[in-house]
Amino acid sequence: MRFFFVSILFCLCWQVQALENPPAKTTLADLFKIQHTVQTQLPHVQAAVVAIQTNDGTASGVIITGDGLILTAAHVAEKPGRQMRVILQDGKRVIATTLGLDQSADAALMQLNDNEVKWPCVKVSRQVLKIQAGQWCFALGHPGGFDKERGVVLRVGKVVKKTANSLQTDCVLMGGDSGGPLFNLDGEVIGIHSQIWEERDQNMHVSMAPFFRSWDDLKSSQIIHVWGTGSGGYLGVEIDADTNAEVIKVNRVAKDSPAELAGIQPEDIILRLDGEPMQSESQFLNAVRARAADTEIQIQVQRSGNLSDFKVRLGSLPKEDAA
Amino acid sequence: MNWRITFLMCSTLSLAQADSRAPLSASERTNGAQTLTAVAALEKRIQIMTAPVIDADGHTLSTASWVGSEGYFLTKASDTPKLERCKVLISPSVTVAIREIHRSAIHDLVLAQAVGVSGLPALTFESKARSTRYGQWLAAPVKGGKTVRIGVISAQRRKIPGGGAAMGVRMDEKTNSKGVRIAGIAEDSPAAAAGLLEDDVLLSLDGHTLNSYQKVHELVRDRQPGEQIEIVYRRSGKVAHVQLRLASRSKILQNWEGEDFANGGISIRTDNFAQVIQHDLPLAAQDMGSPLFDLEGHLLGINIARVDRITTFALPTEIFWPTFVPYIEADRHPPKALKAKIF
Repeated sequence: MRFFFVSILFCLCWQVQALENPPAKTTLADLFKIQHTVQTQLPHVQAAVVAIQTNDGTASGVIITGDGLILTAAHVAEKPGRQMRVILQDGKRVIATTLGLDQSADAALMQLNDNEVKWPCVKVSRQVLKIQAGQWCFALGHPGGFDKERGVVLRVGKVVKKTANSLQTDCVLMGGDSGGPLFNLDGEVIGIHSQIWEERDQNMHVSMAPFFRSWDDLKSSQIIHVWGTGSGGYLGVEIDADTNAEVIKVNRVAKDSPAELAGIQPEDIILRLDGEPMQSESQFLNAVRARAADTEIQIQVQRSGNLSDFKVRLGSLPKEDAA
Repeated sequence: MNWRITFLMCSTLSLAQADSRAPLSASERTNGAQTLTAVAALEKRIQIMTAPVIDADGHTLSTASWVGSEGYFLTKASDTPKLERCKVLISPSVTVAIREIHRSAIHDLVLAQAVGVSGLPALTFESKARSTRYGQWLAAPVKGGKTVRIGVISAQRRKIPGGGAAMGVRMDEKTNSKGVRIAGIAEDSPAAAAGLLEDDVLLSLDGHTLNSYQKVHELVRDRQPGEQIEIVYRRSGKVAHVQLRLASRSKILQNWEGEDFANGGISIRTDNFAQVIQHDLPLAAQDMGSPLFDLEGHLLGINIARVDRITTFALPTEIFWPTFVPYIEADRHPPKALKAKIF
């Protein structure tokens, strides 16, 4: 019975992957299609990209609501309640106040002081889990500072890697880009420029996950301390990291962990998390880590051919395992 | 049985969300082999349009773009101050001597000829300027034509004003008749490249005795990025001299700590251009002088300055080509001696 189930699932995976994943080789027509899409989005999103003056330089940000809420990086905002000068696309200078920030994920919110104006703004993508390595994206920002003659600077590239809190792309960034937006081809924000390493393809962006996770706290000017990069919600199950495995099977359940308290057992096969089908160990891991400790999640497992749903309140990773 | 069918159908619909992808391999990235198959036909056409310009030690200084079948080429002037001592590497084993024809300080381009070659492919310059658009894909041959890179027009076309030249040294502001002490040196700067060190004492610049930092500023200000100067200095009591090539001042000030991670270095001269197309192709300083195309293979300009980690400037063809046409024509058809009149 189980063999039957597994083999059908496997076949479907294979077929659908062939359809959904972009072909291995890009064509000229593909590139022109991307160009057309980016050029169509640019006039709509450009005006929402702002330069932010810091004590010792400049950074970037993006307006995401008509009443002037700005997403930027925590290392730009530094602390809540700070008045900062913001430069709009036309060179006009206005003032914004920093709200909350998550220093470990490098995420921050700011509010333009004048909320009587209808500010130019962009949409934020809520589909954090949908982003895949290989998808095309584009970055905007004010590298090196605001320059009206030059305008906002564009980079087009691909998502190289996704982790629980961040995205890596080959859209090349530099000083001054910090806090600027990374867009998907629908013109929605999927990341905020955070840091670079020396290689050209090592450009890191905060994903939307840390923003959504702590949205209310960020809006109410809280500083989020607990969130270490790569940490996140803790379930307490051990799963084989075998990338060829066709199912996500629980090997071991940690003693007194949220998973054990909820009744999850070894040999259970994880099917869904909050209704979302789980297809790989890494997807499952990311989905757990993308949720804050204390969040209640629903896990559907298959046990001896039967389906069961478990409600689990996520904990924090025990300290001895945290290293 | 019913649940199983439902589950499988759902998974079919939502598999696109599955986070099953490993990090992108190098060949899957924007300038990786798999993506570049899109421009394979273009690559064949454009890679033969360039060749590396190498110095006596075989180091690549810049890239030559062929502009006439008799070996006429253009390259970046400030990277090739002694062009006639350089060679063009026209194939992995064949180098050809160079004859300089015309150097344009305004455009930072030099017209020269690879001596004794003919039948080379040459770039086609269109009579009308091509319009370009923000976000448009571009391609350029790199590494002297070994491969190609793609990227987009990343900012508005504009003039880049000149900010003067600099060596990349901070100087002791105390006036001293015995010279000017170096208090700090910028990373990747002309001074660093020439081997100058902190605490070296500058004694003279092109024969002018130095007794204050203002005097150094004054002498450097009158020169252009790319110009060579001779510095006499004293280190631990010993006097030595060194040749140093000045760079754009704006570049040195922006990149004092080398914090831009430019990957492949930045150009000596990065400003004072009549108009530039700014793009995000991952080029190196040695790729300057190479041609820039749209993806249909139309020539748009010549890459003229690698500015920082994210920026390359190209000069649009209509800006510089009219300057060089008469020099090529005159070189092809030197004035003949007048025929003797026969009575």
